[in-house]
Amino acid sequence: MLRALSRCHTPVVRLLSPRTAVLIETVRGRKSRTDPKAKSKLGLVKTPPPVDPGEMVVLKERYTEYSLILRALRLEFKEQMLRKKYEEEVGSVAEERAKREAEEHRSLMALNDAENLRMFQNREQRMQKEAEAAELKKREAAILHQQELENYIKEKERQILLLQEEAKDFITPDNLDQRIEEALDNPKNYNFAIDKEGRVVKRTAFQR
Amino acid sequence: MPMKGRFPIRRTLEYLQKGEVVFKKAVKIMTVNYNTHGDLSEGARKFVFFNIPQIQYKNPWVQIMMFKNMTPSPFLRFYLDDGEQVLVDVEGKDHKEITNHVKTILGKSDKVLEAEALAKMELSNPANFGPKKYFLRECISEVEGQVPHPGFVPLPKEMTGKYRAKVAAASDE
Repeated sequence: MLRALSRCHTPVVRLLSPRTAVLIETVRGRKSRTDPKAKSKLGLVKTPPPVDPGEMVVLKERYTEYSLILRALRLEFKEQMLRKKYEEEVGSVAEERAKREAEEHRSLMALNDAENLRMFQNREQRMQKEAEAAELKKREAAILHQQELENYIKEKERQILLLQEEAKDFITPDNLDQRIEEALDNPKNYNFAIDKEGRVVKRTAFQR
Repeated sequence: MPMKGRFPIRRTLEYLQKGEVVFKKAVKIMTVNYNTHGDLSEGARKFVFFNIPQIQYKNPWVQIMMFKNMTPSPFLRFYLDDGEQVLVDVEGKDHKEITNHVKTILGKSDKVLEAEALAKMELSNPANFGPKKYFLRECISEVEGQVPHPGFVPLPKEMTGKYRAKVAAASDE
């Protein structure tokens, strides 16, 4: 990420031993590509600072040693990190983790199965109760139906008996003359008034 | 109109983020079989109505399917990536009970979730400065109480380099 963020995109070539006179490339800075060189800098020849050869040799040795040590350390640490990461993802740690997770999963599945079994038993009991209730209802309905049927038959029989009784008073062709004689002998008076309770209140006199 | 549906709170971010069930990596498909009528299916119906949006929000890569009126009793079925199928009977249960049960058997535990959140936090250290896309601040001048950027508010004369150089030169003489 640091590489992405660093603004250092111009290569500044600077050798420790001055093999060529002009080494340093121009850095952009404030001016753009098209801006001319400043008037005060027209005849300028930039020279790098002078280098002492004796000092150079010593410094180069020290720098090589220093960079060697640092690079070794850096790579050592990197290797440690990579090993740890590898262990965690693929190696022993991962295996232990997988085993542990498998164990947990098994126990949780057992829990779930126990729960399902409990629900199953509950459901069985409930179904049984419902079946019994339904059975009871059906029996009661059958009894009721039977009762209804008997009542109906009784009612019909009663009506038949009533009709038989009334049939005795029917006017048939046999006793037609007799009944006519009777009717003529006993005139009936339908002129009467009733009050709200239905009792007869007034009877007008019979008039032919 | 901004509010849609019977319980529009189900559509709010706050409600969705409050979902507790985060499935383990192995869970790929979740199937809910329930009935639209009946007392025993009431808990399952409420679960589908209230809790499924939360679960889907927290597990966008899990496929969730709902089947109505296919079986006499309601149940949940989970299909894991190694082919295992987990059946959960939910007849007569309350929607909260169902959520808790599912969280216990197939959800990541609170400890694991906390560890994951911590790991995620470690990636973005608020003490780092850089582009707004990746970090909180680009420059210390953006923080309240610090010296503001001279591009927006000019520095007091005493803090500018040229004044200090002038004073130093004057005192040297």
